[in-house]
Amino acid sequence: MLWPLFVPGGDLYCRVLGWSFFFAALALAWNILALTGSISIGHTAFFGLGAYTSALMSHYTHLSPFICVILGGASGMVYGALWHFVFKPLRGARFALATLASVEIPRVIVDNWEGLTFGSLGLVGIEAFPGVQPGGMDLSPGESLKSQYYLLLFMMASYLLIHHRAVRSRWGWAMRAVREDETAAGSIGVPVHRIRFCAVTFSAVLTGICGAVYSHLMGLIEPSLVFSLHLSAMPLVLSIFGGRYQIAGPVLGSLILYPLDQLFFHAWFPSAHAALYGLVIVLTLIHFPSGIGTWLQKKLT
Amino acid sequence: MENLIVDFMWMQLLVNSLALGSFYALIALGFALIFGVTRTFNLAHGELILLGGYISYFLFKGEGIHILWTLPPSMLALLGAALVLHAILRRVREPYELNTLVVTFGLALVLQNAMLVIFTADYRLIGHGRQFFLESLDAYVSDTQITVFLTSLLATLSVHFLMRKTFLGKALRATIQDREAARLAGIHVDHMTLIAFGTGGALIGLAGPLYAQTTYLHPFGGSEPTLLAIIVSIFAGVGRTRGLLLGGWLLGTIESATVFFLGGSWREVVSAMILIGLLLLRPEGLWSERSKPGREA
Repeated sequence: MLWPLFVPGGDLYCRVLGWSFFFAALALAWNILALTGSISIGHTAFFGLGAYTSALMSHYTHLSPFICVILGGASGMVYGALWHFVFKPLRGARFALATLASVEIPRVIVDNWEGLTFGSLGLVGIEAFPGVQPGGMDLSPGESLKSQYYLLLFMMASYLLIHHRAVRSRWGWAMRAVREDETAAGSIGVPVHRIRFCAVTFSAVLTGICGAVYSHLMGLIEPSLVFSLHLSAMPLVLSIFGGRYQIAGPVLGSLILYPLDQLFFHAWFPSAHAALYGLVIVLTLIHFPSGIGTWLQKKLT
Repeated sequence: MENLIVDFMWMQLLVNSLALGSFYALIALGFALIFGVTRTFNLAHGELILLGGYISYFLFKGEGIHILWTLPPSMLALLGAALVLHAILRRVREPYELNTLVVTFGLALVLQNAMLVIFTADYRLIGHGRQFFLESLDAYVSDTQITVFLTSLLATLSVHFLMRKTFLGKALRATIQDREAARLAGIHVDHMTLIAFGTGGALIGLAGPLYAQTTYLHPFGGSEPTLLAIIVSIFAGVGRTRGLLLGGWLLGTIESATVFFLGGSWREVVSAMILIGLLLLRPEGLWSERSKPGREA
């Protein structure tokens, strides 16, 4: 994990691995909601809101990007809470459809409110993260790929810790009880609505933070980029492929698929490399619906 | 004089709404049939319509075939595509509805990227055809609008006739109501699924060329027709073909009014909100009357 310190060069691998950590974090965030059994195909709504809130705060108030990122997470949380209250009676496929439709609302508002958001032109020149010096190292994610790599590694590690806590805690057991049978869970005293509320807002905050971090790392965002179907699909595909019932499943999915996509598919089909994710999700659901992690575990034992 | 102009605009709005609504009903027809009979949430529906549109576009521009003669090849091709879809979805496990949603979401991504490679990212349009002033309606009407209106009416009524007046339709409706009971009554449910996919595919192939005449084709433009098809299908309720026409017209009117009063950019928000509203307020739209919980008693 610390190899960029020792391997000179290797910029491409550094970038690809760094971003696969980023998508692993995104997939972990998505999976927290999926633990309650709700499959979302609209997480890009949180991502885009987080990205825009953070970028606009940074643009207008010149606050430190670190504070803006937290505000971005908060904007995701507000929309997540809204999801919970509006979509309360919806389950399964109907919930998924509603999440898909809910992406359009922030996207079109951002697209049309040109005075505030610069519309479909997007926002450029978003302030990069300032340098930090943890333990004597000089890291400035805005300038060097290695620093970006460590930032994303740190992000994934903290998300993994949260995900681990979410799976292993009482809350995690309650979420799984809700997933298996809501009525039964309720009858043994699990506060079903509170559990669902926590899951969706938690997932939304973490996704919003991902979007915010993305905006500061890339330096430019536009509505079609951060509110895209592709970004809704990514965490879903990585999580389900990796194994959404396991703590490290989403990470496994991302570490396998993203490098495969970037290093091979991108070279073979430059304009259509994203088809890989579609293909993978189809094959996964047909051949190993509980993910490659679980499948491997069964093979090995 | 002022009054005249106002009257004129209302008539124009009505004509446009009716044409747009018929177009929506046509888009929804294939989705509603496949969803009704097989419970498949086909999120790649819009991409399949685009595929039909592209086939028609290239036959029209490249080979110079008359636009109406591009309908049969498009229908045939999409029938084949729907059967491929069926072959894939047959292997999907429970929970079927949610899993088909996720699988077709993945297929939509594959199709989008495949179309991007094959047809490039250029926006393409077959063209609106002639536009002329109709004295009797007091409004401008285009060739395409008339074609769409007539095709939609014809297709909807044919499906309605198929479902209500034929023996096959009876079997299909039985499958919609209760798969297990239909199987017990000796209906080949698997054949019904195959027929639904085939017919639905042909209907998608019928909508595609007309889509290319009405809207610009772009490989990533498929999610809008998908959402529209879902809205109209939920509004109509499973197995109610004429309801599709009504739902299409209603949605067409709302959207035309939105474009007219608020501007074209807000149309997508309005349809998204309508979909969320329908999911919340009309959950029974997704279930047939028999299988609705609490109705059995």
